[in-house]
Amino acid sequence: MSGPIISMENVGVAFNAQLRVGSPRFWALEDVSLELHRGERLGVVGRNGSGKSTLLRTIAGIITPDRGRLMRAPVSCQLLSLALGFVRHLSGRDNAILSGLMLGLRRREIIRRLPAILDFSELGDFFDQPISSYSTGMLMRLGFSVAMQVEPDVLLIDEVLAVGDSEFQQKSGAALRERIHSGATIVFVSHGDSQVQQVCNRALWIEHGRSVMQGPVDAVLAAYHAAGHAGPADAGR
Amino acid sequence: MRLHLVELILFSTYAELRAERARSYLGLLWWIIEPAMNMATYYFVFAVILKSGGPDYIPFLLIGLTLWQWFKSSVSHGGYSIWQQLPLVRQVKLPLQVFPSVQILADTVKFLCILGLLLVVLWSLGYPPNITYIALLPVLLVELIFTAAASYVMAAVVPLVPDLRFVIEQVLQILMLLSGVVFSLDGVPQGLRRWFELNPIVELIDAGRGILMHAQWPNWAALGRVALISLALYALGSLLITRLTPRYVKLPA
Repeated sequence: MSGPIISMENVGVAFNAQLRVGSPRFWALEDVSLELHRGERLGVVGRNGSGKSTLLRTIAGIITPDRGRLMRAPVSCQLLSLALGFVRHLSGRDNAILSGLMLGLRRREIIRRLPAILDFSELGDFFDQPISSYSTGMLMRLGFSVAMQVEPDVLLIDEVLAVGDSEFQQKSGAALRERIHSGATIVFVSHGDSQVQQVCNRALWIEHGRSVMQGPVDAVLAAYHAAGHAGPADAGR
Repeated sequence: MRLHLVELILFSTYAELRAERARSYLGLLWWIIEPAMNMATYYFVFAVILKSGGPDYIPFLLIGLTLWQWFKSSVSHGGYSIWQQLPLVRQVKLPLQVFPSVQILADTVKFLCILGLLLVVLWSLGYPPNITYIALLPVLLVELIFTAAASYVMAAVVPLVPDLRFVIEQVLQILMLLSGVVFSLDGVPQGLRRWFELNPIVELIDAGRGILMHAQWPNWAALGRVALISLALYALGSLLITRLTPRYVKLPA
């Protein structure tokens, strides 16, 4: 049995509240501890403002903790980011390459995947038009198709499970579910219970930047609701 | 890992130039028209109105402005680059040296176009190509390193103190006047002149004018000194960016 690939002990993260000399710092994470093992699908529940997104970005290595200990095995962690680094005046094709490079792919890998991106995004001739001529739905389709090309060791998902119009939502949701259940390691942030139940095999509850409980999904969700949070009848998209 | 970053920088530079072309009717023509208008303005003020130029004033001014503009636009574009990309910095883990590097490269591409045009103009004015053109390569390389160094340092600091944006343009303006870009520093008293020559830009522009106008080899010792200072400053700028990166993501959005 190998150890965790990511572990946090009493991690805290502070932000500057505003650009003022001597302005107080604001602790978005106060005291979070967690362990993530290979192949696990960890769901993070908590109210808005409890620090869920900050936690994800800390796991991704974008944010460095101000206190506590964070250990990460040599694995790649990537946030599922749509339309990362898109430039308005460039074509869909060029933006796919640019965004792929930012997400850590080599250029030849992206070029090899361009047909798949074009196919999945259903953009047709628009693929070679500047994205400034795209509708919001088209942008989402391109963004999602590019994001799905990246295959990190640990995939971090912030709420988004499906995008676009209803038809594309089904397709993107199915693609993401397939990725999730193909043995990938996932950290999934949500305030929708049913999604966490569907996706995850372990859960962590955080409140005001502190980890309150982690363990089996049902037990954590039960405790979370017992503490007076929204019931199981919440909107599961 | 490294190769991947090179690909990212090159493709982002292409994207930057491509987007710039798409943002105006005349597109790429502005790379030439804008500096040409700038040169015409200085020529009008200093040569026509103030009658301060000598017989060689046109090549003197054109060379000075071409080399200066490259430095100036790289420093102001590169200096703002991380600050402008903060939303992206919060989303993805990247070595942030990428952002100023892209701006410097894009400005270097534009500079090379203008340099080509400058050479043609100089030849037609009676300053033909000569053997010392070989020395142009090291001179431009040293200017590139110095430019990158100054851009990195600015890029590192501006996100933390965005107020600097209001100061940079003024400082660049003063630096231009102190660098002998539009008028010769020959009139500066000997005692003061030593201080002026501490400015790397003075050295670089002098070397450029020597080569292009007088077929003169650069002062290698001085050029070497500027190269060393530039490399040290470049390392410092890069280190600053790396060290300050954890603080950028914690700035208020």
